[in-house]
Amino acid sequence: MKRKTIAGLVGAVLGAAVVAAPAHAQDVKIGLMAAISGPIAALAPPMAAASKLAVAHVNEQGGILNGGKLEAVLGDSACNPQNATDTATKAVNIDRVLAIVGPACSGAVLATANSVAVPAGVLLITPSGTSPEITKLADKDLVFRTLPSDDYQGRALARTLKARGIEKVAVAYLNNDYGKGLAESFKAEFEANGGTLAGYSGHEEGKASYRSELATLARGGADTLVIFDYGDGTGLTILRQSLENGFFKTFVGADGMKSEGLVKSIGAQNLDGFFVSAPVGEASASLDNFNKAYKAAGENIDAVFATTSYDAAFLAALAIEKAGGDKAKLAESLRAVAMAPGEPIMAGEWAKAKQLIAEGKDIDYKGAGGDHEFDAAGDVPGKYAFFKVSGTGYESVADMQ
Amino acid sequence: MSFLEFLNFHLVPGIVLGSVYAVGAIGITLVFGILRFAHFAHGDMATLGAFIALALVTAGLTPWAALPVAMAAVAVVAIVVDKLFYDYLKARPKIMTVMASLGVALMLRAVVQVVFGVDPRTYATGIVRPDDYFGILLRDRELYTLAAVVLIVVGLTLFLRHSRWGKAMRAMSDNPDLARLSGVDNRKVTMLTWAIVGALCAASGFMLGINNELQSMMGWQVLLPMFAAAILGGVGRVEGAVLGGLIVGVAEEMSIFILPAQYKAATAFVLLLLILLVRPRGLLNGKVL
Repeated sequence: MKRKTIAGLVGAVLGAAVVAAPAHAQDVKIGLMAAISGPIAALAPPMAAASKLAVAHVNEQGGILNGGKLEAVLGDSACNPQNATDTATKAVNIDRVLAIVGPACSGAVLATANSVAVPAGVLLITPSGTSPEITKLADKDLVFRTLPSDDYQGRALARTLKARGIEKVAVAYLNNDYGKGLAESFKAEFEANGGTLAGYSGHEEGKASYRSELATLARGGADTLVIFDYGDGTGLTILRQSLENGFFKTFVGADGMKSEGLVKSIGAQNLDGFFVSAPVGEASASLDNFNKAYKAAGENIDAVFATTSYDAAFLAALAIEKAGGDKAKLAESLRAVAMAPGEPIMAGEWAKAKQLIAEGKDIDYKGAGGDHEFDAAGDVPGKYAFFKVSGTGYESVADMQ
Repeated sequence: MSFLEFLNFHLVPGIVLGSVYAVGAIGITLVFGILRFAHFAHGDMATLGAFIALALVTAGLTPWAALPVAMAAVAVVAIVVDKLFYDYLKARPKIMTVMASLGVALMLRAVVQVVFGVDPRTYATGIVRPDDYFGILLRDRELYTLAAVVLIVVGLTLFLRHSRWGKAMRAMSDNPDLARLSGVDNRKVTMLTWAIVGALCAASGFMLGINNELQSMMGWQVLLPMFAAAILGGVGRVEGAVLGGLIVGVAEEMSIFILPAQYKAATAFVLLLLILLVRPRGLLNGKVL
């Protein structure tokens, strides 16, 4: 009896879905693969909020295609290849998304691209996957990113440290695609500029103690430790144990370490010697547009990856609009809407873009996080700043070359 | 490298870490020995305990005062989990209970993530620089951790050796049918075992948290070293779990001398494989599984 009731209910729900389907025929779904749990969890909410802001802009200003609604299907990629692949498979096969914004972490991007997005022909735009390995993907031109590869960041960071008079550093990197990629480009550039690496070692995530590794690194005699890790994961443990044991005086991290949870947990008063690099949007009218809207939504405009998350979702929507919802044309449409020449479109100007596309005119999206002139591999050049801890957050101290 | 450096940065962290592993491994070995299955939810139960203590600390208790309360709370949770899930599968093959415990692990973790969020948390903000004891650097929390572990181990050993219920637990571990025939109430012993296991979980999670930070994945990540410790010492042997925990903890911190740091996590694996190959009953001659 019970089983019959359930079967009846399921049938009724399915029937309702079939009946309801035609009314939403114009709706378009994109997958939003945020790293809600896992080592960069604290970065995820502002990123998802920024992507959703882009979706809201689309829906407020005329919707997508023939007045349809753009819907963001939120999934948890957990900064982990397995979770990301599962979530992406669900998004592609069950929710039938046309494009994926995310996943957030490089290893997750590589796995999702190889096993889900590229085989299914779904466009993938990551707002924060920065590993140089992503450049090398055989991706049928389906994988893009709205922020520069870490190859640039590692090199820029190496030059910045040299310029600040730091000659000798030790490097501790998380042994995954993100940490290793950064560490390798940093090492190459730092040594090429005459700097000395007094220690260079990878570590696994999730251990309770890193004191023996740190003691070994400290024995090299450097005062500065460069940490390529996540500030909400192992990076926090490493920083805490280094500070408590006095292994190093100065600590430098990359974008993954720029976490407010880290400042809260260790305390700003203990973090005088802690600096991070992170990509920043160049001052532009588009960035102002974004900042105004993002602030109005009650978010903090200094959140890392917020601009790139907005741009990734907005670009995905533009590409879908341009391609008329045709999955096969998404990649070429993305290049058409993002790159010069064309009428410039700023962040938030969906109505204008929609009209120009309808008129068959070429547009060029100038994003909040950059111009997004993709190269052949789907990468963009970028700009970084060097931050120090200030209050409960971070404050930019210098631009990086 | 000086001898003091070796002590401070390799041996002492290894012993502190090892004693936390030991507390977790005792729980695992009790479930293994008395209830005869591998309890995969152990790590996440530890996480739950750590976060319950955090809630109490946020409410105004000092961390070490919050510990007993958290232990009691998780003891209750463990009994409830047993009644809801494991007890129901008692008559089925043990592998089902093992898999159910994996499911329980995911559920407990999800509860922690929903209630407390996924950001790293700490019992107290800031950092603690160590005190110098004749050249050996120790923090108060490390001394308290070691003291608490000694207290737990001695207390538990006395309980198992000399009390009526402790003897009943050991009897059930040796042979459940014979124990029942001799008048031991298996259901009560099972409940008691879960209460003790839950309390030990909370203690290990708390000590892991107070020596580092609290993360929703922290328990899951120490599950493997804890299992390695339990098997290394001999399944069902409390002293074995303590010995195994210390060996695994110290070996992890020492592995840095012979292996690149990224292979540190593999140390527990290697130890587990070696012991299963050379001495499957464990160092102190536990049960064969």
